[in-house]
Amino acid sequence: MTKLKSMIQYECMTSARYIPIFYAIEYAVVILVTVMIGIFSGSFENGGTSALEINSLIYVSVLGALGFHEDFKMLIQNGFTRTYIFAAAVSLFCFMCGIMSFVDAVIGNLLHRLLPRYDSLYGAAYGYDHFLANWLWLFTLYLLMCCLLYLIALVIHRIGKHLSLYVGIVLGGIIVLIAAFFRYVLPREAAGKVLEFLMNVMGFMSDGTVNHLLPALTFLVLACVFGAGAYAAIRGTELP
Amino acid sequence: MNAIRIHDVTKKYGNVTALDHVSLSFEYGKIYGFLGRNGAGKSTLINIIANRIFADSGEVLIDGIPAKENMRAHEKIFCMSEADLYDTSLKVKEHFKWIGRFYDSFDIEKAFRIAEKFELDTNRRFKALSKGYQSIFKLTAALALEVPYVIFDEPVLGLDANHRELFYELLLKDYEQNERTIVIATHLIEEVANLIEEVVLIDRGKVLVQENVGTLLESGYSVTGLAEEVDAYCNGKNVIGSDEAGSLKAAYVLGDRTPLPKNSHLQISAMNLQKLFVKLTEKGGR
Repeated sequence: MTKLKSMIQYECMTSARYIPIFYAIEYAVVILVTVMIGIFSGSFENGGTSALEINSLIYVSVLGALGFHEDFKMLIQNGFTRTYIFAAAVSLFCFMCGIMSFVDAVIGNLLHRLLPRYDSLYGAAYGYDHFLANWLWLFTLYLLMCCLLYLIALVIHRIGKHLSLYVGIVLGGIIVLIAAFFRYVLPREAAGKVLEFLMNVMGFMSDGTVNHLLPALTFLVLACVFGAGAYAAIRGTELP
Repeated sequence: MNAIRIHDVTKKYGNVTALDHVSLSFEYGKIYGFLGRNGAGKSTLINIIANRIFADSGEVLIDGIPAKENMRAHEKIFCMSEADLYDTSLKVKEHFKWIGRFYDSFDIEKAFRIAEKFELDTNRRFKALSKGYQSIFKLTAALALEVPYVIFDEPVLGLDANHRELFYELLLKDYEQNERTIVIATHLIEEVANLIEEVVLIDRGKVLVQENVGTLLESGYSVTGLAEEVDAYCNGKNVIGSDEAGSLKAAYVLGDRTPLPKNSHLQISAMNLQKLFVKLTEKGGR
């Protein structure tokens, strides 16, 4: 277990140092854009942006993809098994997503109170009354993206670039087909039931109430599914 | 007995058979030269031993423990690879720190001592090192690890003559103080000829020779003279290759030396490891 602990320490310590850099750049850009809009439009009323969590979402997604490309090589060089590498990657995802979702939840709520025109992703959909649910929602969403991108990176590595492109095209086609199926084939009543189910799993219940835990649970289940897929893929992954 | 045992390992890439039912052993406490031409299958076998890729069939055991996906083998083997697998953004000293945490048997002070001898700047990031110094970093890490089996895959790649000499010197000194198994996969055969005790020669995915270096060199010799006389002498012998220039011929033979015929103008001389390697791999084996 001490080996696993040192791997997790390596993963977290070598990745965590980029978090302050990320936030420093992100907020520097936001401030710069706000100031420029203010100067050119003559008013700061309409300046600024909303849903800054999207930047973090992109950042953790990149982390998920790089989590495989960079760390797999380094850890396999140091004699670790794929199971250990996967465990360390998931620990890193939890660590990074935990910190970043907390920061984003705090800043999102703070900004909304200071600038009521600002809306965070969670706040716009569920309101600003449940900070813990906000944090949990963001954490599971970030984790889901990490696991998804980790899985995609592994699949691309295993099947190769060309085959991956074909798989991407097929998946895109399937999405279009599903959309067409819902619109033209599925009876309106059945489509309504599916939509209702999707709203329910995102916490918007049929009786008009909001369940703040359900969306996080949905994201967590999806993250586990993608994580299980990633584990199955990494078990057979070889060094290029 | 303690050893890396490779049992009937096969690995294919599409239609290409990189390793074809390979079986061999690297016994504990010996220095091996692992030789083969480009694409012979050396790196493939090393990567299978190091659990970086998987064999299609067969298995690798390290002191009886399966090497595939097994953390029990972690403290037993280390492979210094030709490929750059290290985190390029980390400084050398940071790498030493992390390797020290990953391996119980890593002597970090020894690593810094070796780095100093090579004048390796430990404050530099891996990506800022020249190709030669990247190799030096990798072999420093391998030399400072006191695991029973160390594999060097092209360890002196990009190193100048002075650094290559220093590496061989440190390797031998380390081996004297701390007996273990060292496997050196290299193209620079003559440089390691005086270092290695056993030679494993692989060609086209098959093991051609696994022999003690002395025994192998004793069993190989060259016969030079007039082509007709050479052919007559070599009749019935295991000739692994020949060179011709006009009416003169040199034949390379494996096996016992028989006396030269009376009044013969033939000359017999010993073969060096490199010549033996070239001739064996030219012919595809004995």
